[in-house]
Amino acid sequence: MIDFARVQKELQECGKDVEGSGIRVAPKSDATLARLVGTIPGPIGTPYEGGVFQIDITLPDGYPFEPPKMQFSTKVWHPNISSQSGAICLDILKDQWSPALTLKTALLSVQALLSAPEPDDPQDAVVAKQYLKDYQTFISTARYWTETFAKTSSRGIEEKVQKLVEMGFPEAQARTTLESVGGDENLALEKLCSG
Amino acid sequence: MEDYVSVDSDDDYDYLYYDDGTEDGGDSDRLEFAETKADADSQSVNVKVITRESLLAAQREDLRKVMDVLSLKEHHARSLLIHYRWDVNQLLSGLVEKGKDKLYAEVGVTILEHRDLVSSNFSSSKAKKSTVLCEICFEKVPTNVATTMDCGHVFCNTCWTKHFIVKIKGGQSRRIRCMAHKCNSICDEEKIRMLVSTRDPILAEKFDRFLLESYIEDNKKVKWCPSTPHCGNALRIDDCNLCEVECACGLKFCFKCSSEAHSPCSCQMWELWSQKCRDESETVNWITVNTKPCPKCLKPVEKNGGCNHVHCICGQHFCWHCGRPDKFHGGYHSCGRYTEDEQKTRNAKRDLQRYMHYYDRYKAHKHSSELESKLQKTMKKKMSELEAREITSKDYSWATEGLNRLFRSRQILSYSYPFAYYMFGDIFGSEMTKQEKVIKQHLFEDQQQQLEAHVERLSSFLEAPFNEYPDNEVITLRMEIINFSTVVDKLCRKLYECIENDLLGCLTRTSQSIAPYMSNGMDKASEVTDCKGL
Repeated sequence: MIDFARVQKELQECGKDVEGSGIRVAPKSDATLARLVGTIPGPIGTPYEGGVFQIDITLPDGYPFEPPKMQFSTKVWHPNISSQSGAICLDILKDQWSPALTLKTALLSVQALLSAPEPDDPQDAVVAKQYLKDYQTFISTARYWTETFAKTSSRGIEEKVQKLVEMGFPEAQARTTLESVGGDENLALEKLCSG
Repeated sequence: MEDYVSVDSDDDYDYLYYDDGTEDGGDSDRLEFAETKADADSQSVNVKVITRESLLAAQREDLRKVMDVLSLKEHHARSLLIHYRWDVNQLLSGLVEKGKDKLYAEVGVTILEHRDLVSSNFSSSKAKKSTVLCEICFEKVPTNVATTMDCGHVFCNTCWTKHFIVKIKGGQSRRIRCMAHKCNSICDEEKIRMLVSTRDPILAEKFDRFLLESYIEDNKKVKWCPSTPHCGNALRIDDCNLCEVECACGLKFCFKCSSEAHSPCSCQMWELWSQKCRDESETVNWITVNTKPCPKCLKPVEKNGGCNHVHCICGQHFCWHCGRPDKFHGGYHSCGRYTEDEQKTRNAKRDLQRYMHYYDRYKAHKHSSELESKLQKTMKKKMSELEAREITSKDYSWATEGLNRLFRSRQILSYSYPFAYYMFGDIFGSEMTKQEKVIKQHLFEDQQQQLEAHVERLSSFLEAPFNEYPDNEVITLRMEIINFSTVVDKLCRKLYECIENDLLGCLTRTSQSIAPYMSNGMDKASEVTDCKGL
């Protein structure tokens, strides 16, 4: 049986430090504490910066003596995270799990994984290959995915259009170009510059 | 490890020696026979049967050795031995290589410097403060319901117990580590036993059993007898890796792959063959569809999570897609690449016909073998009838020996067909040129044919109603049976030589090894004699 008393305490602890860590954990519904949603901000200085990533958490019966199951519900482009399913390849979520770890520390580890990919031990072969062979494309794809999937898009698009207009491009053209590349301002800029 | 190498090379030497013998003095049959006898004796393997009762005694010797050398407690010695798969020599060389501290840290053995501290731990900490915060359940608990492990980490008994139960039920009894993050230390089995037995005494018993059985399951020199229903025995061999053995329950099996004795087929060939012959039951279907064999322990592993980086219960990591154990192919996954398999474009009809050819002959010899096993009864009858008659010779060992020879050679003949099916089939396709293959196939088939002819003759002699023969004819028959037995033995040996040297010996890319020829039959397991140390 899940130790719900502990989960409650974990949620309280985590709630106290949302400002500091940016990490949130909340139950998916009021009905049960076994299914939760974790939120982590993309680490600064990475292509995930500015994005907010949601992670589906399912607690097994043996929690905390068995690891929680975690899976990205926000699409993310990363060698150790499946671009299809969001499955995470992280040792502490498997055989290196310890009951002394918490949901918060596990989410911190996931966040750390975002800043330090391990392409030699990949979950997503395509992403890992791109990371190793064509780092620049990897960075721009990851950034593009962050822009597209991990940001509240409608407000973002307006800001980006404004930015491009300020650079001297006509508003209509800026808008259509942005739309055609799926909202990535860098790609749009490249496209606009190349004509 | 080194032991095995030296044993193997000894065997090779024996064969070479024997080879020389045939070439130099091929005309002298008697000399050759004497030599082959000696050869067979030197190959004999020391096989012990380990019963439920003698399991503890069987491992006591190894435990003692480690406990004496390192002056350790039993549970520490066990942890070390489990880590080294009960190979004492490897453990000791690991010790020399790494040094005590590093080895202990790697395995997770923590030895307290001051033993008296352990016993007074509770009382002294109690004196200081009466409660401790368990960092698992986040509850403050009195120190008398918390337990400190050797590594120094303290958690409450309830959490420890839950942790142990999850680990035991998860099949990880042999290395239950401390709950603290990144603490590698293996928990004291005494404490585990004590805590678990208060909550679930049956599980505590199972835990003990699992620890004991590690000696069988994590040990390459010991195997469960594969009998069904299980006889409860395990067998231990001392000096040879590849051999066929006979359990005390009477089952004969290959020690390497635990399936029925199948020499001269290699284990791989036998597995392919029996799979091919087996009716594909639902279970097999399920296992093939849903599991993959672990590259280390070969147990079928079922995937229970999304990630393709799979961990077997034995600790091995491997890629779910291609089953390879290496760290994801040194860089990134490349197993998704499509490589054209030429062999798949073969003619299915021709293939089936070929299979049927070999299968029919394999079955025919099996069938003959079954019929001949009835001979054993009639033979006894015939012998007792002869004994009742007053004739010169009273020794009928030639008849039983002839019969045993017949059984063994029939067995070899039968399994030589699946061998040939694979040897000259497609699995070594790229290893030999077509021409080479044809030449070798002829060489092998000539030997096989010769053996077959002699085995049939031997069989017909043994079936003769010699109890009705006059004395002089019995003597002639006796000579024939002795002669044919010797020749059949020689031919079996030659067939093995042909297989080992000319056929398998030439393969460069794949290594197929077979259990050596045992002229005197398989080694039967004897009881474990209790070690002197007790």
